[in-house]
Amino acid sequence: MERLKRIWKQLKRKPMSLLGFGLIGFFFVVAVLAPVLAPVEAGSRDAYTMPQSGYGADPVLPSHEHLFGTTESQYDLYYGMVWGTRTAFKVAVKVVSVSVLIGVLVGGAAGFYGGWVDEVLMRFTDIVLAFPDLVLAVVIVAVLGPSLDHVMYSVMAVSWPSYARLMRGDVLSVKERDFVTAARSLGASDARILFRHIIPNSIYPVLVVASLSTGSVVITAAALSFLGLGAPPGYADWGYLISLSRNWIMGSSGDPFAYWHTVFIPGIAIFLFVLGWNLLGDAVRDILDPRQK
Amino acid sequence: MLKFALKRLAFLPLVMFGVTALLFLCLQHLSPEMRASLYIKDPRQLSQLESVIEKYGLRKPVYVQYGIWLKQLAHGDLGYSETAKMPVAEAIMSFFPATFELTLVAFFPIIIVGVFFGVLSAVYRDKFIDHVSRFVAITGYSLPSFVLGLLLLMVFYGRLHMFPPGRYSLDTDTLLQAGNFHHWTGLLSLDCVLNGQWSAALDVLSHLVLPAATLLYIEVALLLRITRSSMLEELTKDYIRTARAKGLPERVIIRKHALANALIPVVTLSSLLFISLLGGVVITETVFDFPGIGHWGVQAAEQLDIAGVLGSALLAAFLFVCANLVSDMLYAVVDPRIRVGGS
Amino acid sequence: MHDMIRLLLCAALVGAPAAPAFAAGAVKNPDTYTYLTISDADSMDPAWGYDTASDLMILNVYDTLWTFDGKSTEKLTPLIATKIPSKENGLISPDGKTYTIPLRHGVKFHDGTEMTPEDVRYSLLRFMLLDRAAGPSSLLLEPLVGYPNTRDDADKINPKVWDDVNRAVTVQGDRLILRLPHPYAPILSILATWAPVVSKKWAIANRDWDGTQATWEKFNNSSKEQSPFFERANGTGPFKLVRWDRRTKEFVLERWDGYWRAPAKIKNVIVRGVNEFGTRKLMLINGDADAIYADRPLWSQLQNLPGVQIVDDLPTMQNDPVVFFTFQVNTVGNAYVGSGKLDGEGIPADFFADKDVRKGFAYAFDYKDFIGDVLRGKGTQATGSIPNSMPGHNPNQQTYHLDLKKAAEHFKKAFGGQVWEKGFHFTIAYNSGNMPRETVCQIIKRNVEGLNPKFRIDVRAVEWPTFLDAQKASKLPIFVLGWNADYPDPHNFAFPLLHSKGDYPPYQHFKDPEMDRLIEEANSETNPTKRKEIYFKLQALEFEEVPHLNLVDEVRYRTQRDWVKGWVNNPVFPDAPYGSYFYTIYKQ
Repeated sequence: MERLKRIWKQLKRKPMSLLGFGLIGFFFVVAVLAPVLAPVEAGSRDAYTMPQSGYGADPVLPSHEHLFGTTESQYDLYYGMVWGTRTAFKVAVKVVSVSVLIGVLVGGAAGFYGGWVDEVLMRFTDIVLAFPDLVLAVVIVAVLGPSLDHVMYSVMAVSWPSYARLMRGDVLSVKERDFVTAARSLGASDARILFRHIIPNSIYPVLVVASLSTGSVVITAAALSFLGLGAPPGYADWGYLISLSRNWIMGSSGDPFAYWHTVFIPGIAIFLFVLGWNLLGDAVRDILDPRQK
Repeated sequence: MLKFALKRLAFLPLVMFGVTALLFLCLQHLSPEMRASLYIKDPRQLSQLESVIEKYGLRKPVYVQYGIWLKQLAHGDLGYSETAKMPVAEAIMSFFPATFELTLVAFFPIIIVGVFFGVLSAVYRDKFIDHVSRFVAITGYSLPSFVLGLLLLMVFYGRLHMFPPGRYSLDTDTLLQAGNFHHWTGLLSLDCVLNGQWSAALDVLSHLVLPAATLLYIEVALLLRITRSSMLEELTKDYIRTARAKGLPERVIIRKHALANALIPVVTLSSLLFISLLGGVVITETVFDFPGIGHWGVQAAEQLDIAGVLGSALLAAFLFVCANLVSDMLYAVVDPRIRVGGS
Repeated sequence: MHDMIRLLLCAALVGAPAAPAFAAGAVKNPDTYTYLTISDADSMDPAWGYDTASDLMILNVYDTLWTFDGKSTEKLTPLIATKIPSKENGLISPDGKTYTIPLRHGVKFHDGTEMTPEDVRYSLLRFMLLDRAAGPSSLLLEPLVGYPNTRDDADKINPKVWDDVNRAVTVQGDRLILRLPHPYAPILSILATWAPVVSKKWAIANRDWDGTQATWEKFNNSSKEQSPFFERANGTGPFKLVRWDRRTKEFVLERWDGYWRAPAKIKNVIVRGVNEFGTRKLMLINGDADAIYADRPLWSQLQNLPGVQIVDDLPTMQNDPVVFFTFQVNTVGNAYVGSGKLDGEGIPADFFADKDVRKGFAYAFDYKDFIGDVLRGKGTQATGSIPNSMPGHNPNQQTYHLDLKKAAEHFKKAFGGQVWEKGFHFTIAYNSGNMPRETVCQIIKRNVEGLNPKFRIDVRAVEWPTFLDAQKASKLPIFVLGWNADYPDPHNFAFPLLHSKGDYPPYQHFKDPEMDRLIEEANSETNPTKRKEIYFKLQALEFEEVPHLNLVDEVRYRTQRDWVKGWVNNPVFPDAPYGSYFYTIYKQ
């Protein structure tokens, strides 16, 4: 309790950190309340499929019927944005947590055991790092088909090496510290030392980078949507929604902002989401790092 | 130093083999019909699916095809890329210089701007300049590149008629085709200068401005952030406090002491940035109609142009190992405490 | 922050000089016509190319025996030939099997050499004998030797081929003689669009096939990129191929001043691949492009642009999209059919073999809405497989229309009432990246599901490789594709879409012997009136059997700068109306 109070005091001194928490908190609430804020269409079997009012190509500006207007092919933008919040969290959190998990295990083992284990694991990590990300994502989707799950797998597959490298570096330095030598002389087993002492002490930078990257996963998904490999058509996903704005960014003749809502609304959500996680990441680092006071 | 470099380079074949083997593993899941889709694009050709499969040997099991590919590779033949409509080696030689040129033109501004504002943000922490530069950086980072690209194109090319899309204009094209033009480096702007064609060089550069600007705005955020946080860490270290106590001017402290050490993670990130730019930035290339390696690589992957995918993966692996090597060597320069080839 | 960007951009957009680069009157690059497309060409080889982009370039660099006159898809005008053969002028024998074609003198290839009748014979033979997998050779093989492939199923060369093609194509003085095994009405159309004339000497000098029996088998199905015809051309057409730059995806053509008729009006032509629509649009506005590819959904973006002209209501030679039913679905390892049984959780293999099921779908589709929404009203409902730009189209043929009551009735009758009782669940897959096809699937889903809560249809986008794979294995219960004509003849629609040996019915496992008979009869009937009648009968039968749903006879629009003159629309040309026959175009 004391610790929490201290953390809170720390945060209060930095309005930016509060903003970060606030933004992510806001999005979190929207995600949780999605069924209330944007009720699912009667008869629809999948809440993540956006309702379509017609099939015309031209997006329609916000109006009484459609709070945020419609996108190309007449998907309801408001519905897409609300349920897209869920998608954003799902994708971002899943991808980052799995990447971190794999990275920590691989990097931790490499750093801890050293020797040939280190060599093999790190060379394998290098091979995956050397892989051109987008090409792998494209191949996976070409083989398995466009779906959010496949997008997540491909992003996970190329994200974990950075965490592995980071983790290994930290483990190498923590390994030599006093408390580890002490534990070893007391006869603690390898596993115990690794899990109880080393990992908790070396994981901070990984957590910081993870919180910073969470927002960027959404950007990657948007890029994949642009290439037609992201979420399936009609799926409530910010990246997909902004990729729908592609042909309308220039507006019509005489009015470059004729379809501003198709870019601006998903764009601002992505921006705030990334900003929030960035500020959150800074806050996490500030809390965890005893030197940053 | 040299031994270290050689040891690292010896690792190159392993990486390349690993990358391509991994790719073939993914491609295991492709049926011959799926692989035939590279050649069958039109419903009018549907009835000929079988003969296409026969012609290109697509029924052979994947490991056999990998073996064939390796054998060809041993003879220096990278195969033929159906999406580029030229041999893979030629495709790489055609697209890579363009991407390399774009990378160079974008990379240095990114570093300069990123480090400069990163240091500034760290030194004037929590002041106005700090907030503004971080904000601007984040807008670039969170904006999908095609949105930024198209907006820039709309404003500069559409309204102001400067900086057109493509690699060069029609006149420059004719010039480059002429028999007396020597392609020394493959970097067109440099080649134009070497050939004494100043207006052509300017033309090539003007086509690079917008894609480079797009990349700059998007990539500067990360560099800025790392410089800033790394600088902040340095500034709180003991030896800095000592230097301050000794009465050294702030500017000297920053430039002579803190900066050098703060630059270590910056070097890592820069090398990663350089590789990722070299790997091609497909979206920027598509929007600006820039014939780079990113567009080709992704197109090859989308259409299952396996020779093309392998070729671009090999290139990526090669660049990765080289860039890693360079950055490791740069570490040693930046921090003499790091012994190269030991740790 | 986005606001600040918006403000800045607003200022830039509003404050900057609003005058367009080139106001009316000042023509940019008056000697060069630039067309921006999206597709990549495959090869410049006339015997290889079977895609829009390649065929467009081949059209302008080579000449065929004759071509279509102006806008007409029926009237022919001679090119390499001097007269169009007909029964009236005696150049077609009374039994319809022999064609005598007088050839023109004084035609020069781009390298300055003179064309001889032997070149023409060689060109036709080469077109047939290359027979590359998935190529166009069958288009000429079928009429001239009676079978579509030079190789059998085991990929072995048919030993009769050499003699058969040499019997079919001969030269007598300055006339080309074609001997067909059976009368084949579309042969004139086919020769108008395929097998242009190439130079035999140039081919031999560049180590392509030398025209002899000894070497033809090696030539058969040979490599694309090793042929000199791949990226170079020596034709007789109005333009020379200067270069094909595959890096920047650009073709550069130059006027051939030695053309046998008046030289082309425009000096240079550039055809370039630019994938991004926004970029194409900006280049058009700036005058850096004279015409661009832009399909119907983007029409609203091209309105009221200064200096830009839109030509609309242009007929096409295609039937797209078409909804195909698979009569016998392969249910093994098939994710698209659910349980594979008529139990409400899937569909059985023969689901669409029941005519009432098909009719149910036919009455559930909203044709008007599709045309109105997706095509912005530009098009009319199709009345059969043959589009309205073809003879044999019957504008008065009865069609299906949206009638949910009738649809429900048919579903209630299907499988003796079990479909209505138990319901079904299956997946429609479409090839991703195609908006009209996506919409077709959505419409089907919405309307059919609305009839009965037990009807469940999922719509899924799949990549082309997956689609092709599933389609070949007959795993797709419904698939949406289209057909683009090879040549302007109703046979080229009837056969692929309805004949059991056509392009689609084999995958549908659909076979109707009466339809087959009608199609074959129409094909050998040379009297146009009688042919029309047969096709009318065919489409009436089609309406009754409904093996697939024809949706629309679409019209397209063309986007060009208003200084482009002389463009003639003919749906026969590849890539019409975007690309074109550049011969008549000039800028003013």
